[in-house]
Amino acid sequence: MTSTPLACESQDLSVVYRDEPVLRHVNFRVPTGSVMGIVGPNGAGKSTLIKAMLGLVKPLTGHATFFGQPFGDVRKRVGYMPQSASVDWDFPTTVIDLAVMGTYGELGWIRRPGKAERARAMAALEMTGMQDFASRQIGELSGGQRQRAFLARALVQAPDLYFMDEPFQGIDAKSQQAMIEVLKDLSAQGKTIVIVHHHLASVLDFCDHVTLLNKRIIASGPGPETFTKDNIRMAYEASDGAEAFLAEAG
Amino acid sequence: MVPKLSWLRLDSHHMDPVEFFSNHIFRMVFLGTTVIGLVAGALGAFAYLRKQSLISDVIGHAALPGALLAFLAAVTMFGVNGRSMLLLVIGAVITGTLAALFANTIAARTKVAIDTAMAISMTTFFGFGMLLLRFITNNPFPGKGGIQDYLFGNAASITRADLTTSIAVGALAMGLMVVFWKEFTLRSFDPVLSTMLGFKARIIDTLMFTTIVIAIVIGVKAVGFVLMVAFVVTPPAAARQWTNTLPGMVMLSGLIGGLGSGFGAYLSISLGNVPTGPVIVLVLFAILLFSLLASPKRSVVITALRRMRARRALKQELISEGSTR
Repeated sequence: MTSTPLACESQDLSVVYRDEPVLRHVNFRVPTGSVMGIVGPNGAGKSTLIKAMLGLVKPLTGHATFFGQPFGDVRKRVGYMPQSASVDWDFPTTVIDLAVMGTYGELGWIRRPGKAERARAMAALEMTGMQDFASRQIGELSGGQRQRAFLARALVQAPDLYFMDEPFQGIDAKSQQAMIEVLKDLSAQGKTIVIVHHHLASVLDFCDHVTLLNKRIIASGPGPETFTKDNIRMAYEASDGAEAFLAEAG
Repeated sequence: MVPKLSWLRLDSHHMDPVEFFSNHIFRMVFLGTTVIGLVAGALGAFAYLRKQSLISDVIGHAALPGALLAFLAAVTMFGVNGRSMLLLVIGAVITGTLAALFANTIAARTKVAIDTAMAISMTTFFGFGMLLLRFITNNPFPGKGGIQDYLFGNAASITRADLTTSIAVGALAMGLMVVFWKEFTLRSFDPVLSTMLGFKARIIDTLMFTTIVIAIVIGVKAVGFVLMVAFVVTPPAAARQWTNTLPGMVMLSGLIGGLGSGFGAYLSISLGNVPTGPVIVLVLFAILLFSLLASPKRSVVITALRRMRARRALKQELISEGSTR
């Protein structure tokens, strides 16, 4: 056990979809200031873990706390970047309008965003290099630009803890580099980042902590000592993707 | 020889706008349908974006038994006018809501998919409504004359009081949309973030659902429950082709609904003995068709041409590369 305070943790979290267990007894602990990668095969429950912790899916057992408190008390300190596939890209909204949505939480019911909110949104777009695309409809963006637009929305919210569901899915090298720069900045400021990640080979490029998940936690902790061949093999139960990676890694 | 189109009596009934608007009934038909089109079009935009166009069909069909039960309750228990717009709206809201909940419950609790569940719910409520309709027409209830117009509407029956009620109820629903604009937008676009930020999903969904129900039932007298869904669904689909912002889409959708309905009403009266609702539905469809073909960014024609050219270029490229094996 570490003595670092935890940004979030789940205790004995179990989730059932209909009568199919998706997560079993998950004790997930994210030290403050860490960049935690959640890795596991398809259907391992990675997105479900995030959703259950955030109260979007009702767990069968267990609960989660954020900065030692229930989510409802600290929701403004937690940001979220959705999986690209779950977004309706044809929705009639522009990049700047998307970024402004990051201010909705603090505005609360009914109050509308004004000039100050738009200025903050614009500043966040500049941080992710998206200022020139502010008036584009979101569907007109490339994969990388889309993710940078959503990252800007999360930045506007200025949370202490970020959840990102496959942020590097389907993006170009330049966008990935731009996003990693922003993540490093956030990390340097002491923010905590939890990333659901698919691509095994690049996990340790930007994550200092790793959790291997396959319905239960296989291993979780500091990167190199957790992300071992044995643990990976156990998490993936010798699936093809992992075998190829392991073979390449030697 | 008699011209083929003479049965439409185009010439005999064609009238200039001055003549049209000096007639009280025509004026009521025009204003009534314009208000209905405007409200339904504007409110329909969010239904379109939440991909809930079908739920408006469920509400429309299920509103029939509600409106008829309200009529029965009014004339048998309270002895008041069973055809008042307000009573009709209340009855329609109740059964429309029940049918939508029923469909959602079937989909959530059983292995029946949501589209099937909606069709089941819609036809069941509608079937019950048809039986009620027969029951009412077969029995001597006061004020039952013309009650079968609930099905397909009768624009000529719009009274000044109906118009006032439509404007009041429509303004209320549009007011809800404007006040909760931010919440409606976020819930439609990103329900996960909306919930995370602490906006209660049930509250927003109830408010949004209320606006859609109002958009549907507002047109029952003039258009009828069966065709009303077109007023909610078609204008947003057309508007989406021309604009990339949500305020633009809602305004344009309302405009298309209002102008298309007004024009359709004018057309139906000019043409003579032609029902108003169906003419408006066809006008709205014509606007949609034009939008799909002609919008600069999303035209199906331009997209198909671009794709064809790109494919041809790619084919050339692949042929010139030659087979590598």
